[in-house]
Amino acid sequence: MLTRRISISSPIILAVYVLQESVINQFHFPGGGFSLFLIFSLIWAVLSTPEIAALCGFFAGLLMDFSQSSGGPIGQWTLIMIAACYAISYFGSGDDSLASNPLGVTFLVTMVVFLVELAYVASGALLGVQTAEISQTAITLIGMSLWTLAVTPFSLPVFSRLHGLAFDKRSAI
Amino acid sequence: MRKGSDGRNRLLLITLIVTALFLITLDLRGIGLLEGARQGTQTILTPFQRAGNVVVAPFKNFLSDITHLGRSRAQIERLRADNAKLKTRLLNRANADAQLMQLKSILDLAGTAGYKVVNARVISQGSTQSFSQVITIDAGTTAGIKTNMTVISQSGLTGVVKEAYSNSATILLASDPSFRIGVRIAGSQQIGILSGRGNRSASLQLLDNQTSVKVGDILLSRGSVSNRPFVPGVPVGYVTAIDNSAGAIAQSATVHLYTDFSILGVVAVVIAAPAINPGDALIPAKPQPTPVPTVTIYITPSPTPTN
Repeated sequence: MLTRRISISSPIILAVYVLQESVINQFHFPGGGFSLFLIFSLIWAVLSTPEIAALCGFFAGLLMDFSQSSGGPIGQWTLIMIAACYAISYFGSGDDSLASNPLGVTFLVTMVVFLVELAYVASGALLGVQTAEISQTAITLIGMSLWTLAVTPFSLPVFSRLHGLAFDKRSAI
Repeated sequence: MRKGSDGRNRLLLITLIVTALFLITLDLRGIGLLEGARQGTQTILTPFQRAGNVVVAPFKNFLSDITHLGRSRAQIERLRADNAKLKTRLLNRANADAQLMQLKSILDLAGTAGYKVVNARVISQGSTQSFSQVITIDAGTTAGIKTNMTVISQSGLTGVVKEAYSNSATILLASDPSFRIGVRIAGSQQIGILSGRGNRSASLQLLDNQTSVKVGDILLSRGSVSNRPFVPGVPVGYVTAIDNSAGAIAQSATVHLYTDFSILGVVAVVIAAPAINPGDALIPAKPQPTPVPTVTIYITPSPTPTN
């Protein structure tokens, strides 16, 4: 069952990654823009079980590490994404959780994007990756969070439906 | 049952985290296999990035215009007028002609200095998710591009080749915080280190505490041994502010970079520098001030009546 799910999920994850690297990255958005792949990975994780979410985070992080725009060592994004996807799935499960409605998922994903980027900057500093000045980093962090808040409501139905198709779920957000 | 599932989850999580830590360790120790994986990914992505560049080209200019909305009203009016003019003149070929203009300017710049260059189109802007300022170009090792080569645009220095693949290359922009270049001030020949700040401004740190810098001073690249990573004489930017804080060992300043990194369409990689240093030959011409009409009034005193 797990193998079948992974075999269906993998092409979808790869397609979104290629879309991010070849199309979204072409644009120079004001305020830093957004990462559709990051949003996708977190939505995928929030809709999955913690076990699947951790695996999804591992592969998503590995692909982000292989991106030419990644300045840190290979494994940095992998580590952050495993933790982020597992956490968002763990805390987002249950009927009363934020993840049970589209608005909740949007805010949860936005918050986690902010924390993930913050973790990337902090771990980058520990690993010796040079980043921009604090003010510039803050602008990018806030800009990316606002873009995520704007993009997630539009991408959520699509990603939710794809998740439903991959995991044979009738109910989708 | 629940206990068993939790235990399995925890084991999986620990395995994945340990794998990630293992990857970080391998990468920091410089294992070539991981770098090969990154290169392989980029090689696979290059055709998609080329196709994406063709598809999104008309929309890129639109978004670039939005970025500059905060400018003064006069500038916006001027841009609107320019935009309308361009729309009528270049209805279908706006993007191609813009790139042609950039290319012409780059070739003018390279020709003046005698640089041998390889021109390339920008096929991808780096994602901001990793806070690094990089672009991808559509020329690579097959065109003679190698790592640590200077990259220029129509205005001056753009960056340095970070990675070269067979048909593409990654350029670290001069605005990246990890970017460092040795510069000299045109005319006075004082030297310093320029470092990126994540935007179009950069920091200049002079090396000699006996020298001084002033606003408006133009900075040129000082050049490296065997012209790699930097060829000499490339215009970098000009000084906009000076930091005169007491106790500083040497003077530092804020520099405005010549290259506008948000509108890069075509760049050139310098694959060979001339035998003779071009010196200050590439200093951009100062903008000519618009003459203000003056009115001179001559008053001739009337002769005073004498009695």
